[in-house]
Amino acid sequence: MSALRKHEIAFHALGDPTRRAIFEKLERGPLSVAHIAKGMSVTRPAVSQHLKVLREAKLISMDRDGTRSIYRIDPEGLKVIHTWLDRFWDEALYNFSQLAEATEKSKHKK
Amino acid sequence: METIELTTISKEVLVNASQETAFKVFTEKIHSWWPKSHHIGTNPLVESVLEGSKDGRWFSRHEDGSIANVGHVLVWDPFGRLVLAWQVDGNFHYDPNLITEIEVQFIPEGPASTRVKLEHRDLQKLMGGKKIIADMDGGWGMIMNLYKEVADAA
Repeated sequence: MSALRKHEIAFHALGDPTRRAIFEKLERGPLSVAHIAKGMSVTRPAVSQHLKVLREAKLISMDRDGTRSIYRIDPEGLKVIHTWLDRFWDEALYNFSQLAEATEKSKHKK
Repeated sequence: METIELTTISKEVLVNASQETAFKVFTEKIHSWWPKSHHIGTNPLVESVLEGSKDGRWFSRHEDGSIANVGHVLVWDPFGRLVLAWQVDGNFHYDPNLITEIEVQFIPEGPASTRVKLEHRDLQKLMGGKKIIADMDGGWGMIMNLYKEVADAA
């Protein structure tokens, strides 16, 4: 899978308000499904479905603690988004430096 | 935790230009150096404008006459420092509730040499912010393809 594709998946996974709410809960620390579902207006199976999408986007990961599943933020998904923006700024600053240098040169010609 | 590092992008470039030139090109010529595919609004871009003052607007003008907001100026300190609020989400839509900060420092190293340090921070807001991509094919995916075309052509 290309880096671009992964990036789209990560953004898409966070395009849903419920999934964002789940993701934000996990930003505070690892939680079980029961704790994630607590206080949310959607059903437990719906929460599980959202967790699956977030896991597939590598935004969260799951560990077993006995019979419980514990979910936590997986830096991998954020890394993909970060990489994309990182490349964007490389290109933007390259363009900028070329233009700044050309501008400086033309100033001295006058 | 690794996540924290991932919320900021830091870049540094040494430019053969005076501090004043570097600052002016960055702000007044943003239209010329900003990667072309990277704009908001559905219509072709005419120009990107960054108003040179605190609270100055940052927007783009399009062929159909429409204007798309990008953000605004948080700190305007010519020719040394600039902080911009980038209020565009992952779907390239303006969101007044979303602010990711871009801080740019122009550090003179000689009469025609300036170190430009850029930091794009609060990226976690971009990721957890409101209205992030809902439509993969029409939104970010399309922009990605355009971006790639431009990059390949360059």
